[in-house]
Amino acid sequence: MLKLEGVTKRYKGASVNAVDNLHLEVRPGEIFGFLGPNGAGKTTTIKMVVGLLAADRGKIVVNGRDLAADPLGAKRSIGFVPDNPNLYPRLTGLEYLNLIGDVYGVDGATRKRRLDYYLQMFELTSAVGDLIQSYSRGMQQKLALTGALLHQPPLFILDEPMVGLDPRSAHLFKRVMQEHVNQGNTVFFSTHILEVAENLCHRVGIINKGQLIACGTMDELRQASGQAGSNLEKLFLELTDAGGIDED
Amino acid sequence: MKTRLWTLYRTLLNNHYGFSAAKFYYIKKRQRTWEPLVIVAGLTPAVVMGIVFIWNLTEQLFIGGLAFGQPHLALLNGALLVSLAGLFFGFFSVLSAFYFSTDLEVLLPLPLKSWEILTAKFAVVLTGQYAINLLILLPLWLRYGLLAGVGLGYIVSAVVVFLALPVVPLVLASILAVLLMRLVNISRHKDRLALVGGFLLVIVLVGFQFWLQSSLGGDDPELVMEQLLGRADGIIKAAGRVFPPSVWAAQAMAYAHTWQGWLNLLYVAALSALALFLLYLLGEKVFLQGLLAGLEGSRGTGRARQVELAEERARAPLMTVASLEWKLFVRDPGFALNGLIGYVLLPAMALLPLFGQKLQNNPFELLALDQLHPLVVAGGLALYFLFMTGMSMIPATTFSREGRYLWIIRSLPLDIEQIIGAKVLGSQGVNTIGCLVGIIPVAYLMGWGVGEVVLGAVLGVLLASALAGFLVLFDLRKPMLDWVNPLKAVKSNLNALVGMILGLAFGFALGFLLYGNVQTGTLWLIPLELLAAALALGALVRVLIRRWAPQLWARI
Repeated sequence: MLKLEGVTKRYKGASVNAVDNLHLEVRPGEIFGFLGPNGAGKTTTIKMVVGLLAADRGKIVVNGRDLAADPLGAKRSIGFVPDNPNLYPRLTGLEYLNLIGDVYGVDGATRKRRLDYYLQMFELTSAVGDLIQSYSRGMQQKLALTGALLHQPPLFILDEPMVGLDPRSAHLFKRVMQEHVNQGNTVFFSTHILEVAENLCHRVGIINKGQLIACGTMDELRQASGQAGSNLEKLFLELTDAGGIDED
Repeated sequence: MKTRLWTLYRTLLNNHYGFSAAKFYYIKKRQRTWEPLVIVAGLTPAVVMGIVFIWNLTEQLFIGGLAFGQPHLALLNGALLVSLAGLFFGFFSVLSAFYFSTDLEVLLPLPLKSWEILTAKFAVVLTGQYAINLLILLPLWLRYGLLAGVGLGYIVSAVVVFLALPVVPLVLASILAVLLMRLVNISRHKDRLALVGGFLLVIVLVGFQFWLQSSLGGDDPELVMEQLLGRADGIIKAAGRVFPPSVWAAQAMAYAHTWQGWLNLLYVAALSALALFLLYLLGEKVFLQGLLAGLEGSRGTGRARQVELAEERARAPLMTVASLEWKLFVRDPGFALNGLIGYVLLPAMALLPLFGQKLQNNPFELLALDQLHPLVVAGGLALYFLFMTGMSMIPATTFSREGRYLWIIRSLPLDIEQIIGAKVLGSQGVNTIGCLVGIIPVAYLMGWGVGEVVLGAVLGVLLASALAGFLVLFDLRKPMLDWVNPLKAVKSNLNALVGMILGLAFGFALGFLLYGNVQTGTLWLIPLELLAAALALGALVRVLIRRWAPQLWARI
C-alpha cells in the first residue's frame, strides 16, 4: 500500500539529512506505527508521503502510484490528519467538510451518510455549522479526522493523532483506525505513545536520526533484539540509544 | 514593569517585521541574500522620486506662502498629511494588531496587564508610522530649514514634533477600533459587524473630508485659494478645522525661536501625553473585555445543522476552491477592510465632487456633462477592472493569506493549475462584484448606457483575469506564509505592492493607447485592442503557469 525506496530529505542549510535513505513498506490491511524520538524524521517522512514536502532522492509509491509521477493519483488514495490540524478558522465545520468532499468527488448521498456517522460518533453534529475558530483543539482534530475519512481512503495517515485528546476521543480515534482497517484499508500513523502502538499496531517501524533502525511485529522486534520478554518501551529506549535491528 | 513592557515591545516588533528571521536567513544561513538587494533596488527609485517631489513642493509652498505672509505653509501641509494618513490607515492597522492577531492567545495567558499588551501593540504600529513619517517629513523639514535659515530651536522642536505628531491620530484610531470591537464582540457575527463598522467609519471620514471641502468654497478653486491664502490666518483656520495639533506642530517649528513656538510645542507634547494616558485607560477598561468576548466560541443548535447537512450537494472542485478563496477573504476583517475599501472609496471620491456641484438641484446639468463616447466609457471601465484587481491585493496575496493553513490545499489531490484557476475565479468574483457595485451608481448618474457598461465589464473581466493569473503565479513564487497578524499578509507583502504597481502600469499603458485612439479618431479600435491585450496577456500567463507553477508549488 505504501512503499518508500531510498527516500532522502535534507532541509536547506542543514548539515545532516532529516530522512536518510529510508526504505519502508506498509502492507495493505495493516495498522503500522511509526515511532521515533523527537526530530527523528517522522513528520518529515509523513509530509513527503502526503505531498507537503518533496523528497530529494528516492521513490514513494502509494497504492501502486508513484507520488512523483502521479501525485494526484497518489493523493486520492490518502486521507491525512496532521499533528496540529490548523483548519481555516473562518469556515464553518460543514464548509470545511464540503471542501474536502467536493475535491475528492464524494457524491451528496454518500457524503451525507458518512458525515452523519462520523459527526455523531465525534459529537460534532451540533457544532458543525459554527466557525472553526470557536472549536477546541480536540474538536478541530476530530473535524480533521472526519474530513480525512470522508472519501474512505485506502491509506489513512495520521501524525501524532493522540496528542491533546481526552481519553474518550483517544478511544474513538483508535476505534476509527481499527474499523478502517477492518474495511480492508491501511493505517499509517506516528506516535509517541508506545502503549498505543504496542496494542494497536500490526507492525511498527522505529526511525532515529532519519534512518529506519527497526521494523516488524512486536515478536520480530523482540526476537531481533534478543529480549524475549521486553515491552515496546524498553525496546524503543534501547534501540534509540544506540545501534538498531535489521528489518525482518 | 518597564523592562517587561520593553521586552514585549521588542518581541512584537521583531516578530512583526521579521528581524530575527531576516538575520537568520540572510546573515547566519546566508540564504536568499539577493532578496534584500532586490527589495532595496526596487524601492529606491520610488523613494528617491518621492523625496525629490517633496523637496520641490516644499520650495514652491515656501515661496508661495511667503507672498501671503505664511511661509510655514509647507510645515502645516506636512503635519496635516501625516496626521490624516495616520488616522485613516492607522485604524486598519490597530484593528488588525489588537484583535485579529493570532499571537493574542499566547499573550493573554502571560502575566501581563491588558494595558501593557495594548501599549506594546500600539507601539509596534507607531514605530511603523514613524518610519513612514520620516520619509515624508525629513526632506520637507530639511528643505524648509534651509530656505528659512532656522536655528537650534527648530531642530529641537522638530524632534519633539516628530515623536509626538503621530501619537494623537493613532490613539484616535485606537479608540475607534477598541470601541467598535467592544460593540461588535457582543454579537455572534462579530467579523461581519467589524467589516461593516470599518466601512462606515471610512464613509464618515470621506464624508467629513467632503464637508470640509464644501465649507471651504465648494467647487470653486479660486474661492478655496482665496480662503486658504488670502487672509493672514486663512490657512490656519482651515487646517485647524481638520486637525488642530497639525497647526500647533507647524507653529511650534516655524516660531521655534519665540515663546509662541515653545507654547505650541508644549500643546503638541501635552496632547500626545494626554492621548497616551487615554490609551492606558482604554487598555485597562475596555480593551480586554472586547478581546475576551472576541475569543469566546459559540455553538449552534443541533437541529438546524441537521437540516443543513441533509441539503448538502456536491460541487465541482474548481467552484469549491474558488468559493473558498472569496469566503476566506471577505470573512476576515483584516483582509477585507484593506482589500475591499478601494471598491467603495474610489467611486465615492468620483461621486462626491459631483454632489458638491449641487447635483440634487440640477441633475440635468450633470447628465449634460456626459460628452464621452460610449467606446471610451467602455474602455475606461475595462481599465478600472484591471486597475482594481491589482489594488484589491486579492490575487497578489492569495497563497500568502493561507499562511499556516496552506497544508490543507497542498495535501488535496488538486493540480496546481486547477488551484490557480480556482483562485483567479474566486478573486475575479470579488473584483467583478466590487467594481460593479461602484460603477453602477456612477453609470446611472453619468447617464452611461447599459451597452457600454456591459462591454466595459466583459473586457475588464478578461483583462483583470489575465493579470490576476500572473499575480497568483507571482505570489506562488514566494508567498509570505509566516504571519501572526493577518494584515501582514496583505500590507507588508511585497507581492501586494507588485500587484498594485502592475495594475497601475498596465492601466497606464493601455490608457495611453486609448488616448491615442481618441486623438486619432480611431475609437472603434478600442474594444479590439483591449480584447487583443487581454488574450495576449492571458496566453502569456498561461504559458508561464504551465512552465513555472508545478516547480514553484513543489518548492514551497
